[in-house]
Amino acid sequence: MSDFLLTQVINYGAPILGLIVFIGAMGPPLPATLMVIAAGAFSNQGFLSWWTTALVVLACVVAGDSLSYAMGYYAREPVLRRFGKSERWARAEAAFDRWGATSVLLTRFLITGLAVPVNLLAGTSNFGFRRFFLYDLAGETIWVFGYGGLGYLFGTQWELVGEFISSFGSLTLGLVILITGIVLAIRWLRAR
Amino acid sequence: MQTSRKSRQRTLVVGLILVGLILVGVFGFRAARAFREFRRYGPPPPLAGEPAETDVELIRDWMTIPFIAQMYHVPGRVLFKSLDIPEHNNKEKSLKQLNDEYYPEAEGIVLAKVKAAVLANQPPPLPTVPATPTLP
Repeated sequence: MSDFLLTQVINYGAPILGLIVFIGAMGPPLPATLMVIAAGAFSNQGFLSWWTTALVVLACVVAGDSLSYAMGYYAREPVLRRFGKSERWARAEAAFDRWGATSVLLTRFLITGLAVPVNLLAGTSNFGFRRFFLYDLAGETIWVFGYGGLGYLFGTQWELVGEFISSFGSLTLGLVILITGIVLAIRWLRAR
Repeated sequence: MQTSRKSRQRTLVVGLILVGLILVGVFGFRAARAFREFRRYGPPPPLAGEPAETDVELIRDWMTIPFIAQMYHVPGRVLFKSLDIPEHNNKEKSLKQLNDEYYPEAEGIVLAKVKAAVLANQPPPLPTVPATPTLP
């Protein structure tokens, strides 16, 4: 999959890269981070225009995130019908209201595997779109310019950077899941 | 009812811890390996005035002939000629696609031929200029 997409990026440039990150922002598991790092390297080699590519990618990924937020928003009614009156849903909404901004920001560039669930949750819960948009834009700017910048800096060695960052993202996701499991285990044992 | 709920909670907690441990183990190992490789290659190359790439081991199956030609400063027609493949309609195909289309019986032959052609046709390195002029 990555190889096919890389060939398309060197053939068609920023528009295809924008399409990849747009679709990736709505859920399908596309290697968007790897593509951004590669695009940085291709810019360094003169195949892509750095600023145009960065702006197209940023606009497309924010549009994709906003669309997945909208999917959560329009699923709100059925979700509320099912869980709306439960105490747990109220607690989850309150927790998202408190930690939502940080979650939106960090899942844009650090724990990217959780970005789509966070978008949907933000739309479904009471998290305002303007707030979501601002944190999303900030996080995606770090993602595009940070990872694209690393690719640009390392040029033809971008594959090494890409492998490290992809593994590091999944490692962070693993740590989050592990810590959540441990916290729940401690609470469960205390309650017994 | 209560027992079933407790059992579900226990399964969830054990599942989360197991999945977390597997992800941390697998990707921790991969991240450490990538980091070691990363350090082995040293600092990034200079940004300004970067010469043409010379290491043919960086050529990959997903690259196209025009991409390789620009990266290594070797004319694209030379690479197509070395493959006995027409340029027309093939500029946007990856080396793997070209291999599958023109040499389906010999896997990896296009990659090998392109590497050899790049090595044979690379422009000579520019002469290095001494930092300070020396008087005779």
